[in-house]
Amino acid sequence: MNDFDALLKRSFAEAPEPADDGFSVNVGRVVAHRVQAAKARNAAYSVGMAAAGAAICYGAYALASVYGQEIAATAGLELARVHGALSSTPSVGGVAQGMLQSFGAGLTQMLLVFGALAGGAVAYRSAQE
Amino acid sequence: MAARGFLSLASATEAALIVAAQARDQAAFGELVKRRQGWARALLRRMCSNHAEADDLAQEAFIKAWERLTDLETPAAFPGWFRRVAVTTFLMAKRKQKAIFEEIDDASPIADEGSTPEAAAGAKIDLEKALAKLSDAERLCVTLNHGEGLSHSEIVDITGLPLGTVKSHVQRGTEKLRRLLEPAT
Repeated sequence: MNDFDALLKRSFAEAPEPADDGFSVNVGRVVAHRVQAAKARNAAYSVGMAAAGAAICYGAYALASVYGQEIAATAGLELARVHGALSSTPSVGGVAQGMLQSFGAGLTQMLLVFGALAGGAVAYRSAQE
Repeated sequence: MAARGFLSLASATEAALIVAAQARDQAAFGELVKRRQGWARALLRRMCSNHAEADDLAQEAFIKAWERLTDLETPAAFPGWFRRVAVTTFLMAKRKQKAIFEEIDDASPIADEGSTPEAAAGAKIDLEKALAKLSDAERLCVTLNHGEGLSHSEIVDITGLPLGTVKSHVQRGTEKLRRLLEPAT
């Protein structure tokens, strides 16, 4: 750094800085105004959303009062049909029991065949010896 | 923080003020503005060479800072972060004014300021007046380099200007200032 660069840096460092309260008061005022505006915007948004929600609820209520009974009757009928259909099908427990019984009978036959084969093998081996 | 009183606000550290301002405490931000306004306005006055415009831009920069303060990761980074906000505000204002920074080839020629009456008389022209004689781009680059101590690459980062252009602006601006500030020999 040469002498002039040092002089320049010193000139920048020593240059007076403006200092008056008016500036910070103005900035504070603008910031407060922005904050108030943002609050007002948020409040308006909340009111708008509440009004929209109320309108939707009112519409749903109006529809329910016109078509409510019909819808409830149809739903009840469909529910009854479903219940009837389910109760007329064979029970899952019964199906499972049948399967287990079949498996048990098959297992007995398999054991018999296995026993016969084993006995035959023992008899054959004894005959060989 | 305002409920804690004027004295505690005035004695709070800058880091504490920044943290409180990030939590949308207007009083803390007001105190921060009070402490930093001198530096911010001086920076923009050097860049603008017009006090009224510089103060308007400084106010705009502080308002932007208030709105974006939550983006600041650590209070220690505030000076650099705010400098960037201020420079961006300055550049946007200049672009709005259609004052596109001239390329170095088109830069204003170095006038023979040594022949001005003040220089001829050996009078020392003050820094502000000397800066006013530079082009916008030269003034910006010289202020950031010599005044704020930023390197060329940091100026590139903050302004978006090409490195060669920044170097040229700093060199030419410094040369002009040398002619203006150094006593005539």
